[in-house]
Amino acid sequence: MSTFNVERGITSIDSLGPSVHEKGSWWRYVRRNPALYVMLIPGLLNLLLFKYLPMWGIVIGFQQFHPALGVLGSKWVGFKHYIDFFNDPYFFRLMRNTLLLGVYTLAFSFPAPIVLALLLNELRSVGFKRVTQTISYMPYFISTVVVIGLLREFTSPNDGIVNAVIAGLGGERIPFFLRPLWFPPLYIISGIWAQIGFSSILYLAAIANINPELYESAVIDGAKRFRQVWHITIPSILPVIVILFILAVGGILATDFQKILLMYSPFTYETADVLSTYIYRVGIESEGSNFSYSTAVGVFTALISLIFLIITNRVARAVNETSLW
Amino acid sequence: MWVEHKANAFDIFNYAILVVMSACFLYPVVMTLALSLSDADKLGNATVGIWPIGYSLNAYRLLLSDDRILRFYLNTINYAGTGTLIMLISTSMMAYPLTFRDFRGGKLVSILLVISLFFSGGLVPTYLVVLRLGLVDTMWALVLPPAISAFNVMIFRTFFANIPSSLRESASIDGAGHFTVLWRIIMPLSKPLFATFALYTAVMFWNDFFWSLIFLRDQDKQPIQLFLRRILVLLDFRDVENSTILEVIQNISSRTVKGAAVIITIAPILCVYPFLQKYFTKGMMIGAIKA
Repeated sequence: MSTFNVERGITSIDSLGPSVHEKGSWWRYVRRNPALYVMLIPGLLNLLLFKYLPMWGIVIGFQQFHPALGVLGSKWVGFKHYIDFFNDPYFFRLMRNTLLLGVYTLAFSFPAPIVLALLLNELRSVGFKRVTQTISYMPYFISTVVVIGLLREFTSPNDGIVNAVIAGLGGERIPFFLRPLWFPPLYIISGIWAQIGFSSILYLAAIANINPELYESAVIDGAKRFRQVWHITIPSILPVIVILFILAVGGILATDFQKILLMYSPFTYETADVLSTYIYRVGIESEGSNFSYSTAVGVFTALISLIFLIITNRVARAVNETSLW
Repeated sequence: MWVEHKANAFDIFNYAILVVMSACFLYPVVMTLALSLSDADKLGNATVGIWPIGYSLNAYRLLLSDDRILRFYLNTINYAGTGTLIMLISTSMMAYPLTFRDFRGGKLVSILLVISLFFSGGLVPTYLVVLRLGLVDTMWALVLPPAISAFNVMIFRTFFANIPSSLRESASIDGAGHFTVLWRIIMPLSKPLFATFALYTAVMFWNDFFWSLIFLRDQDKQPIQLFLRRILVLLDFRDVENSTILEVIQNISSRTVKGAAVIITIAPILCVYPFLQKYFTKGMMIGAIKA
């Protein structure tokens, strides 16, 4: 992987002949290499239509946008939607749920693959390690719809295995998907189940890159395995952990809202409704969608995320000398 | 790496914990398989462990003989195949010119790409653009927006740039144009790259429900994930109940149908992924280097 070298790469075919480079004529270059520009057309068209046009569409967050009037014809209302959002009766609940799910994700879902990678690394049997790894990747390939479908089967009050065990122990059957209290654990557990194996790949790769001599000298110094893990393995992969942690904090508001859409219901909005599901409900799902309002909420979310990213990066740079920029 | 020593308490604990964890990964799939093979009459409301209760293939018979469900399945294959192909071709075409150091306009294109990496219009503006372009209820609404990602273009560019330039030069001396060089030389040499990205993209399309949900209203165009969403999450069995062959087949219930639907959707990917491991671990590494 270290062979990545962006600087290399040859000049275009034409420069093999008399150098066009010296004459420096743009037009001449284009005329000599029209194919290169034709190739760019699909990509540039895609960027323009699906990336830049929506970015420009952010202005509707400052308008009373009406589809019939279009972006140019709609009335300008400034920060009205932002002020409305701060006064939204759901504002507090949305912020709290989004932040809480983000914090739970950082606290539980983030360290899980690190622990898995450390455990896998301690295995001596190569065969067992391979099989375990392959099995742990499997959930990554199962769609969210199926993961949540299976979770519903498992926790079904009538025939799910979880409630069968609870009833067998003499407890009362719990309708998990109707209880706000149970939403966060179900969200986190299903997330760990689906992601842990795949996310551990990166840490395993980082561990594989550690210089074996470090361990050899540690053994000579009489270090036991726990001390080797604590003093060599973890410090060696710390930069990777820090960078992924910064990214994770930056994405703290980026809840897996597609999964929440499959899990929540009005019964559990109290803990499950987050900024992105609200944007979807108000902007797209509901009759008479309020495009402007939901766009404004989206912009607000993006701004907060950016602030989180910048702060974490600052802190990481101060504490650890590892940072994104 | 390790100096040999005997298995101690930690090793036993470690093996035990990983065996339990593997079981947690496998169990839901095993249970679903058992459920799908169960005989609904004997099953009733019983909880399935790891073994089918009774035995019947009728849930599969129902799903595989129903034209509508077959249609959902074919739609999924179509979207995943087309989407992946479009992504590979358009990304390659965008990355190739950027490999030339003296490419006029390359700077501008790179800047446009980087900006798209950091800023996005968000859900609602994107939705409105697709709506306005009249792509709703066509597969283009699903396959075109994700076709170009700045991240992919940059990785393709780096990969292409590392192909020995002598190969490209010799072709151009023979009078081959840029399209020929890309098609005949660069692309055949980039098979490992394509395998990695094809796998990721195909899985993404195969598993998507959200974009189909908001862009495909016509049921005949919907992919299998939306059918699964109806029966697994909304508990809406109209698709199945309308089946013309339901009268002929006995011993099925909503539960066995759910199980069978899950199995036929995940089976193709689960059968293939263990053999593609080296590709997606490699892809993960490339992603890490970029990040």
